[in-house]
Amino acid sequence: MGGAERNARKRKRNQGGGARPGGATSGARAGDGKAGDGKAGGRPVPKPGSAQAALAAARAGKNDRTKVILGVVAVVVVAAAVIGGVIWTNNRKNATADAAIPVAAARQELPTTREDAAVLVGKDSAKVTLDVYEDFLCPACGGFEARFGPAIEQKLDEGVLKVRFHLVNLLDSRSDPEGYSTDSANAALLAADEGKFLRFHKSLYDSQPEEGARGWSKDQLIELGRAVGLTGQAFADGVRAGKYDQQVTAAYEKARGTEYLLQDAGNGQKAFGTPTLAVGDKVVDTSQADWLERLVAG
Amino acid sequence: MLDGVGTLLRLGLAAVWAVSGWLKVSDPNQTFVAVQAYDLLPAGLVSPVAAAVPFVELALAALLLLGLGTRAAAVLSGVVLLAFIGAVAQSWARGLSIDCGCFGGGGQVAAGDTRYPQEIARDVGFLLVAGWLAVRPRTGLSVDGRFARATVDAR
Repeated sequence: MGGAERNARKRKRNQGGGARPGGATSGARAGDGKAGDGKAGGRPVPKPGSAQAALAAARAGKNDRTKVILGVVAVVVVAAAVIGGVIWTNNRKNATADAAIPVAAARQELPTTREDAAVLVGKDSAKVTLDVYEDFLCPACGGFEARFGPAIEQKLDEGVLKVRFHLVNLLDSRSDPEGYSTDSANAALLAADEGKFLRFHKSLYDSQPEEGARGWSKDQLIELGRAVGLTGQAFADGVRAGKYDQQVTAAYEKARGTEYLLQDAGNGQKAFGTPTLAVGDKVVDTSQADWLERLVAG
Repeated sequence: MLDGVGTLLRLGLAAVWAVSGWLKVSDPNQTFVAVQAYDLLPAGLVSPVAAAVPFVELALAALLLLGLGTRAAAVLSGVVLLAFIGAVAQSWARGLSIDCGCFGGGGQVAAGDTRYPQEIARDVGFLLVAGWLAVRPRTGLSVDGRFARATVDAR
């Protein structure tokens, strides 16, 4: 820190000197000479008033000025890098701002009921109801949907399974800007109100934003809704107003306070994560490839 | 002799900034997650800070590599490192379970997988290097040295 202070002091002096016309070459100035002496530990100090002293002072002054200029250049380089970098990164992240979310192929005509921030899908003939807790931003949920989504849809279609999708906003702060978890959950609940949940849900997972990336905006969610047949004003208004935001947050708070849903998080601590699957009050282990078959077989 | 040591330290610190900056720039989403995980900044500031930090690091790398404004670059390096150390220390103190994301990566980790002491020790090491260069910025193979010589020659 001593160096920085010294530099600042020197800069002040030099600015004073530089203001005079021709100050840079005008030779001996008592002030500059002293500033130079203060810094140069081993430099021989010439007798004041001598020609040598004038020369040394001029040299020290120039040297100091050079150092100040170099320091200023360094600071300017860093500042320019910050400004340029922020602009560049923003542009890069906003590359998806005008894109349309592609519509995925999924069944639409299965019975769908919204229950607060959950969506129950499936035929009444099904004996088993699987609770799935998920967040549209969660990469593991995306992996789960990609791997087991089609098989689950088939079981739903066969009428041997019902699924209650609990849409939580665990990762709400992990999109840039934050809020995608809530916005997407709210939109999917609104889609469920009009029976268009499955395709909306699958489309969002098929084009899932990365954590830390820009999520899909409300306008993009509304566009996707239109593409799957949610053309009414109620859907668009609900998405914009965040109609079910509070239910989504409440569902997350409830889930993470539910003992049987918590799983080992290392160091003996337990935590709620997504995706979590449960039947009744038992968590379903999906590590075995045939977990779904065994589940519907009872 | 001391100039030689300084040169090595300067190039070493330049390499540290270059690697850490590059790893962050190449994955801006991960960098956002890493900054967010410290749980320090208000929502609106996470994004600009995550965008700026990698470029500050790359700029410092470039300055130190060239030996341009070495003292200023060293002081800025020290300030940035102190901020990093402070951020890691507060995560440790508050019992967060995060990776510092110092060289890419970052974000939440399992409770048993934190490495706060190592991360802080490493940053303190870098801080000592920055301290040396701030106190004694004269090094070989530097733009600074060339300018100083040019000034002397011009007399």
